[in-house]
Amino acid sequence: MKSARDHLMFVLPLMVILIGIEFFIVFDRVTQNYEEKLKSSYSILVVARKKIDLPTFKKIDDRIVDAETMKRKDIARIIAKEMRNASGNEILKSLPYFYSIHLNSFLRQDEIDGIEKKLMKYPGINRVETFGDSHNSKYNLFVFLKTLFWSFVLLMSLVSIFLIIKQMEVWHMAHRERMQTMEIFGASMMLRSGVLFRMGIVDALTATMLSSGIFAILKYYWVPNSGIELFMQKRDLIFEPADIAILLGISMTIVIVAVINVAMISREIRE
Amino acid sequence: MSNVISASRLTLAYDGGRKEIIKNATFQIKRGEFVFITGPSGSGKSTLLKSLYGALIPKNGTLMVGGLNLNDISKRKLQELRSHMGIIFQDYKLINEWTVEKNVVLPLMIAGYSTDIQQTQAQKLLRHVKLTEHANRYPLELSGGEQQRVGVARALSKNPFLILADEPTGNLDEYSSNVIWDLMENANSQLSATVVVVTHRIPNIFNTPYRHLIIENRGIYEVR
Repeated sequence: MKSARDHLMFVLPLMVILIGIEFFIVFDRVTQNYEEKLKSSYSILVVARKKIDLPTFKKIDDRIVDAETMKRKDIARIIAKEMRNASGNEILKSLPYFYSIHLNSFLRQDEIDGIEKKLMKYPGINRVETFGDSHNSKYNLFVFLKTLFWSFVLLMSLVSIFLIIKQMEVWHMAHRERMQTMEIFGASMMLRSGVLFRMGIVDALTATMLSSGIFAILKYYWVPNSGIELFMQKRDLIFEPADIAILLGISMTIVIVAVINVAMISREIRE
Repeated sequence: MSNVISASRLTLAYDGGRKEIIKNATFQIKRGEFVFITGPSGSGKSTLLKSLYGALIPKNGTLMVGGLNLNDISKRKLQELRSHMGIIFQDYKLINEWTVEKNVVLPLMIAGYSTDIQQTQAQKLLRHVKLTEHANRYPLELSGGEQQRVGVARALSKNPFLILADEPTGNLDEYSSNVIWDLMENANSQLSATVVVVTHRIPNIFNTPYRHLIIENRGIYEVR
């Protein structure tokens, strides 16, 4: 009974950390696509009196990666249709140049405002349209949710780390005398902490299996019936076999750090 | 005969060297000797013993044990040295979660002996200290005298060249004390182990004039 409780005291906080990390991995994987789409669909419209090539745009701001020229002839033809007494060529002559500017990443509104100012200072540019409001609100909501989720995972991890530290203190109290006696009789650190390592490894394996099990159940039983379209479409991304290795690696690292720490603080101090 | 322990102008101190317990002590203990080191409470008997198994680094002077200089011994060498020593404590220092048998073979386990050898040696030692029937019991189920016999069996398990005992009968009644002293005399005479006992008083049981050192006023002096 005592032994089961000792294991649980370490397995549970370890599981909370692993579940938090796996949630983050899954969330990140599922939303990565969406984020990419948001980034790539965003562009700034530039209206200029003269032709401007991509290197010039890059000189204005190095975050500009592409400048797509909008076809002026097509625009002129459409206008000419509307205006019966004007020829297409005349319209084309007086028509400014239109560019759709793409950036290397999705920037904050203040950064986009900075680029807008730089573009407006460039001679020949008449107008810049950043379409900030509608696009930003979508992206900001997305970033807000992601940050909120991150904060939650971080908070849970901090609480769990605190619980693991408490458990390390329990280990220290329970094993100090044994470890010190073994040290007096010449046992190496590995031998002294062997019991803790064995216990920790069992706990790490248990926590990894339970956490992976929870996600496997979510993937195969909950998601198909959840009605959440995003999750149903991306079901394959929700839990991958490789995640077990990541979780096992993390839990083993936590165990090794915890046991070495206990062994170090329990060692004899040569005065 | 060669020296197992050799101290020259040895100074031992605590608190980062500020509190000197033993000062400028010089003495030697030869292979196979049985030596009592006595002194009043707080005179530094346990401190001296701690320095002999390397838990306390000398402040000044040199201290050689088993041919190794304990002033600047590496962790690995110290582990090796300790694995050839038998140490007996007043508070037994048994591992309460382990059975008597497992406690007895701790030094063999550390040295990596096979389970078969450990079991054979445990049976032999438990027979020697008359605790065969307690092999599978736990230390806290035994009396103080029995626990100390387990401690002695553990100290003898690897045929140590040196046995260090810190007030081994300090918590025991007269009968149990006599059993422990018998066991230690046997270890000295039959296994040729060097035995160093620190105690506040030499028990009456010892008629043989063993060598006796006394700690007084931070010095170590020969009594006989």
